[in-house]
Amino acid sequence: MNAPVDPYSAGFPNRHASPVFLLPPPLKPLLLRRKSQHLSGLHFASRSPATKLRSPSPRSVESPSDSPPPTMDRAFWRARVIKNHLTQDPCTQTRSLSGAPCLDYSPPELAEPAAAFDVAAMRALLDGHNVAERDWLFGLMTQSKLFNPRRVGGRVFVAPDYNQSMEQQREMTMRRIEFLLERGVFEGWLTAGTAEGELRKLALQEVANIYDHSLAIKFGVHFFLWGGAIQFFGTERHHVKWLRDTENYVVKGCFAMTELGHGSNVRGIETVTTYDPRAREFIINTPCESAQKYWIGGAANHATHTVAFSQLNINGINQGVHAFIVQIRDADGNICPNIRIADCGHKIGLNGVDNGRIWFDNVRIPRENLLNSVADISPDGEYLSAIKDPDQRFAAFLAPLTAGRVNIAASAIYSAKIGLAIAIRYALSRRAFSIAPNQPEVLLLDYPSHQQRLLPLLAKTYAMSFSANHLKMIYVKRTPELNKTIHILSSAFKASFTWHNMRTLQECREACGGQGLKTENRIGHLKGEKDVQSTFEGDNNVLMQQISKTLFAEYLVARKRNKPFKGLGLEHMNGPCPVLPQQLPSTVLRSDQFQVDAFHVRERDLLNRFAEEILQRQAQGERKEHALLSSYQLAEDLGRAFSERCVLQNFVEVEENSPAGSLKDMLALLRSMYALTCMEEDASFLRYGYLSTENAAAVRKEVAKLCSELRPHALALVNSFGIPDAFLSPIAFNWVEANSWSSVQH
Amino acid sequence: MASFSSSNDQEDQVLVEEKSFARTLIMNRPKQLNAATDYMISRFWELFLLYEKNSNVKLVIIKGKGRAFCAGGDVAAVVRDINNGKWESAAIFFRREYTLNYLMATYSKPQVSILNGIVMGGGAGCSIHGSFRVATENSVFAMPETALGLFPDVGASYFLSRLPGHFGEYLGLTGARLDGAEMLACGLATHFVPSVKLPSLEAALHTVDSSDQAVISAIIGEYSELPMLKEQSAYHRLDVINRCFSRRTVEDILSALEREATNKVDGWILASIQSLKKASPTSLKISLRSIREGRLQGVGQCLVREYRMVCHVIRGEVSKDFVEGCRAILVDKDRNPKWEPPRLELLSDKMVDKYFSKVDDEDWEDLKLPPRSNLPASAMAKL
Repeated sequence: MNAPVDPYSAGFPNRHASPVFLLPPPLKPLLLRRKSQHLSGLHFASRSPATKLRSPSPRSVESPSDSPPPTMDRAFWRARVIKNHLTQDPCTQTRSLSGAPCLDYSPPELAEPAAAFDVAAMRALLDGHNVAERDWLFGLMTQSKLFNPRRVGGRVFVAPDYNQSMEQQREMTMRRIEFLLERGVFEGWLTAGTAEGELRKLALQEVANIYDHSLAIKFGVHFFLWGGAIQFFGTERHHVKWLRDTENYVVKGCFAMTELGHGSNVRGIETVTTYDPRAREFIINTPCESAQKYWIGGAANHATHTVAFSQLNINGINQGVHAFIVQIRDADGNICPNIRIADCGHKIGLNGVDNGRIWFDNVRIPRENLLNSVADISPDGEYLSAIKDPDQRFAAFLAPLTAGRVNIAASAIYSAKIGLAIAIRYALSRRAFSIAPNQPEVLLLDYPSHQQRLLPLLAKTYAMSFSANHLKMIYVKRTPELNKTIHILSSAFKASFTWHNMRTLQECREACGGQGLKTENRIGHLKGEKDVQSTFEGDNNVLMQQISKTLFAEYLVARKRNKPFKGLGLEHMNGPCPVLPQQLPSTVLRSDQFQVDAFHVRERDLLNRFAEEILQRQAQGERKEHALLSSYQLAEDLGRAFSERCVLQNFVEVEENSPAGSLKDMLALLRSMYALTCMEEDASFLRYGYLSTENAAAVRKEVAKLCSELRPHALALVNSFGIPDAFLSPIAFNWVEANSWSSVQH
Repeated sequence: MASFSSSNDQEDQVLVEEKSFARTLIMNRPKQLNAATDYMISRFWELFLLYEKNSNVKLVIIKGKGRAFCAGGDVAAVVRDINNGKWESAAIFFRREYTLNYLMATYSKPQVSILNGIVMGGGAGCSIHGSFRVATENSVFAMPETALGLFPDVGASYFLSRLPGHFGEYLGLTGARLDGAEMLACGLATHFVPSVKLPSLEAALHTVDSSDQAVISAIIGEYSELPMLKEQSAYHRLDVINRCFSRRTVEDILSALEREATNKVDGWILASIQSLKKASPTSLKISLRSIREGRLQGVGQCLVREYRMVCHVIRGEVSKDFVEGCRAILVDKDRNPKWEPPRLELLSDKMVDKYFSKVDDEDWEDLKLPPRSNLPASAMAKL
């Protein structure tokens, strides 16, 4: 481990250090040329002259002056620079290579129009809650050397050093957690017990996630999975014994559910637990290799305890999956007897998390270690449960795990925000190709095709951000009646938002060209870090199938028992089917009424088709389960239609609750972009004829128009994401200076 | 402070020396410790703009006459305006002052501030944003606003928040004083030059014919020394400061300090607790939030936000602590201000939020900063 022992000792001006170590970074390159005794400096106040364009050759008649005269057209001036560059003699050219950059970087702030809306208010709307606490945690991270601040191009960026070995990254993650613990970040996370406390927890987790997915996952497993299991599956005796110690990291928990042979199908796991009434102990065992616990975050290095999921076999009867607390390491970190642990090894991302594999060799644990909120064992070995039906028992058991999906849905959107903020800022400062000879090169974001690549994703990210907030709000105020809604919404949003994030990151990566590949520019690396979100806490495809299955059940209740649809936003099914206009001029396309109607038409028709197809298959003698699987094409279409309709609905609500003004107008523009993009992308609209081919073309045209209308607001829209500069990357700012020769030399 | 100064007197408030390519601006109100008046600020603004365009000027030096560089803004005049019900005139003063701070932060030519004496509040605002800050053994730095019922303004939420760790929160909340060596150690000063060497340093700067930062830095470097930090220096307590002043709220910071105090008897910790308990609770809460927000913002945004805040302070809608603080410290000098609300727990988040919102007045506008072509990385506003 080569991490600094004291986060504050390294890198700070030290009175004993010789002056040369106290150089303020921006002046370093210059001082290489001129020896001087410049002393300590503030991080912020020095301005590097390297950003200014200098004369490549003092003797050249054509050489431009030190800076463009204010009256001179920027493009013309640039053309002169390039011309001069091409005509100088090789000797001076070599000189200019080491000195001044040939294309100057111009911050987008200078050229872009001022924000047309209140950026701080938009940020508050996007973050939804605990904005000051978010900023506090951002500040904690930027002010500590533990978070690896690096100065590039006159700015400080914080990001883990992904060039460290896997073991080093894991150690750093643990140190960062200890730091956050010491600073009080986790206070009340398991003991506060209020909706406000839960929102605060979610906000801080999202911020940590913006810094590094490994960090957020590692403490997320400890608090949300291990801590959550004790909270939800345990009872008073477990709460008293474990929650405070967990909050203070006296114990380090992990969550052993997944096995090599069983992931999403938790009910199929093979780990077996039996009960010994004489010793009043459970015996937990891994009977075969496919039963080894797999991907257990925290298990490989640090965790002292785990919640082990296992079949419970009492007197030869399998009572289904239950959860047990098992100690796996002692306080000194030694693995306990009858436990075997192996590493999962290096991964495409998340190497700061120590994922491990666990085998239990008839491990004996006290009877009290059964998390007994749903079922218990009497001391003499009698199985007791209030819920007789094993299906219901299992459902009750897993319902509380929804927290993980809520979490993932929200955090995926922040990752898309990072990608878009970087790619759009880059596209507002990077130019490529001239449209006509001798013309200046064109800004990337001034290409309509580049707008079409990024701005619809931007609008979707806004839309999903509002939906993530909606989901969090109902989650923290959950009641038993809301359980189904939360389960379905969290499944839908987890799947569609994580897919959206991966797609956005890929698009942003490509939009940044080769720069997108550099780890320091974050986007490329985020792809590896976030990819796991599509499959953990429920495979996205499986989750989407569950939605259609649930909607089918709703359909049966409504149609067969002749009751109106209620809940999940399906009430629109009760009224007459909306009729979409034949003609779709701009005003209609942009009206929320039309957009909502279109989404309702699609969802209604797909649900009817899906249900009819299944009922028909059943009528032909197919089993219901089989029929559901066979209708997977419609199931996928329906799942998507449901998810997108929910998101649009949330967006419309946010818009309605905003006071009239420029911010509301911007929301309307974004909402139209979201809705029309969904319509453009989903083939269902054409496949099933909700839109004529003509109207589908009109939708597509409107998206292009919206792109050009959103273009002037692009900078303000990504600034509203509220991600501090230090958490973006060098290409989001002065990438010329960040890559200058002088920056290589220190 | 003379309330009716003749125009001649006013002109004497800023002396100007021209030596080849260097211009030296001398704040000349030694009896008032060079407290910055509206006139001085306007004059600085005028001269700075003039020098930026004039290619015969390569360097601007700023210093103060007497034992102070500048002890702050002329708040006496501001309080007079407030008491006369003219909060708008008070706002104009701050608007000009902050705009000058922004000009300095984005200035294209080197500014060397010679901090040979007291540097407080507004004095920090017209020096720390510049490229070179020369401390001496006579330097005394402080941002004492929380004791006055104000908050560290003049862009302090920008420069304090960028000090190592949470040293900025410590300075901004307690109003603790630093000497020259400490200013250098934490980065508020770029150089330390013993005062006996100042005449030769200035003479050397007068010969400069370049605006190259490295050239200026090298010249100052020739006269610089590395002072020892005194043993009692707060900068040696950076780990304690980081532990306590990183806490989320003022209440949490206080209880963290009190926990430290129970672990070991330490005069420095007790003094810090004392300062926090004497300061205006409103000031403490808005200052902490201002520094925390400033940490994530560009200098321009910091000034815009501080302008909102100061307008709320002078309008006195939530709390009139500023007037009370000035009464107790500057006018009656009883040093016994009666803060209202008197305790931290009586200030709700809503009350604090108010200071960060737009001012509810039809004629009021957010601070509009002049467009600057020389935007350094640090000045770029994002959020």
